[in-house]
Amino acid sequence: AMRSRAEVDATLQTAKLNPAELLPAVHCLSFSPQAGAGECYLLQLEPGLCAELEAGRSLVIRGEKDEQAVLCSKDKTYDMKIADTSNMLLFIPGCKTAEQLNADQASCDIIHSQIAGFSNNYWELRRCRPKLKKLRKLLMEDPYEGPDSQKDPTLTFSKYTTEDLLSLIQASEEEILHQLQVINACKIEGSWRILEFDYEMKLLNHVTQLIDSESWSLSKVPLRTCLEELGSLEPKEMIEHILLSYGRRYIDDGEIYFEMHEDKICRAIAQMLLQNAVKFNLLEFQEVWQQSVPEGMTARLDQLKGLALVDKTSRPETIFLLKVEDLPEENQERFNSLFSIREKWTEVDITPYIQDLCAEKQTVGTLLTKYARSSMQNGVKVYNSRRPIS
Amino acid sequence: EAASLTHSEGAGGLAEWVLVELQGEVEPRQSSGLAGSLLGDLHYTREGVPVLIVGHHILYGKVVQLEKPFAVLVKKGAGEPDPTGPHTHYNVTALIKTKLLFKTRPKPIITNVPKKV
Repeated sequence: AMRSRAEVDATLQTAKLNPAELLPAVHCLSFSPQAGAGECYLLQLEPGLCAELEAGRSLVIRGEKDEQAVLCSKDKTYDMKIADTSNMLLFIPGCKTAEQLNADQASCDIIHSQIAGFSNNYWELRRCRPKLKKLRKLLMEDPYEGPDSQKDPTLTFSKYTTEDLLSLIQASEEEILHQLQVINACKIEGSWRILEFDYEMKLLNHVTQLIDSESWSLSKVPLRTCLEELGSLEPKEMIEHILLSYGRRYIDDGEIYFEMHEDKICRAIAQMLLQNAVKFNLLEFQEVWQQSVPEGMTARLDQLKGLALVDKTSRPETIFLLKVEDLPEENQERFNSLFSIREKWTEVDITPYIQDLCAEKQTVGTLLTKYARSSMQNGVKVYNSRRPIS
Repeated sequence: EAASLTHSEGAGGLAEWVLVELQGEVEPRQSSGLAGSLLGDLHYTREGVPVLIVGHHILYGKVVQLEKPFAVLVKKGAGEPDPTGPHTHYNVTALIKTKLLFKTRPKPIITNVPKKV
């Protein structure tokens, strides 16, 4: 039976509260029949997410059974964690505030409000780095080797569409699409594919040889002519893809051109050279490398950040391949891995290998303070592990 | 596996609910549990201070505008495990931007003789 005005007034009298000091309207709160079912959850929203929901956009929770759930908006990823409170949180639809009651002069009676649910915990969000390592791993299951691939056609591999990736990768759609661009992935027959490195270099080589034989400026490579000259050697989509991967597309006088990216091309050629041995004599490598890059380009060691590491302690100095994308994604594991490769690092050397770990407002400096210990060596500040590395 | 939080289809956008935060736990008087039972009367003073009368206690609270609003999620199809699809759906039913925080110790209501209504 619902409470009556008389009952409410009687309670006020018993409580010795003066009705004259109160607003005339009262909410009689009771628990709805479903209140205890525990199907209602509270999610604390980070700035911006409330506006997204109000604008009608969706949020998605992503994670396989063995992964920790994350929440994704259109362009950001958040870790989810349960926060406990020692208090009881009741959520009440249609409960008015004093302001609303004052504004609405008609409400001077009893408002029977049902408590929809209650909880002593809620989901807390914290912006995190999108978990993108899995993306590369999935696409590397079956890299595209070109139309002349020697791969057994009877072997079936998983193919991943954008929708597949959205349900498997713990990141927002924009973060996933951006990463696909970064790794030079392309869509072939509706699925995202990463090119097998040798095939990618083969395509790049076709283009750089053509640029050389045509004596084009590296900043004005015409798409049309590339497709005409190379179309018989490789699929046209692949030629255009390699130009997009290693150049900046623009239009001049109605024609499409590419401004070739010197750093990206030199870096790829370095990878091609370095992957053939454990390490190289630095001076010899630099000579061969410069000879291998297109005419007019300058090979510089700073192009190799996050790709290769120079050992200045060996005599002669050496260089070896170390790709940041091959290292663990999780912070502590990353540092353990780096310190097992080299005991002491300068900030300059380690930065390219931890830059991607920085969260929204973190710097490389704060990461080093947290995960490393510093000391001086020959007048230079170096970082080593905080804990013994086996 | 992905669970999507979709905006529940309703004209005029998401409803806005209010959170009431009480110290400790709320225990039912009857053994039948909380569902359906009364909690108490919520009044406001003319200055806007929320006053909650729960059982034999008076609780004075304050209105807090939440720095981080809450979304209220309701699991769709709860209680029915879907063998075919891994997708759990949560409906964003409402937003909560305001809470009534009752932190002060409740004042007990002392009664001598039960008043007849």
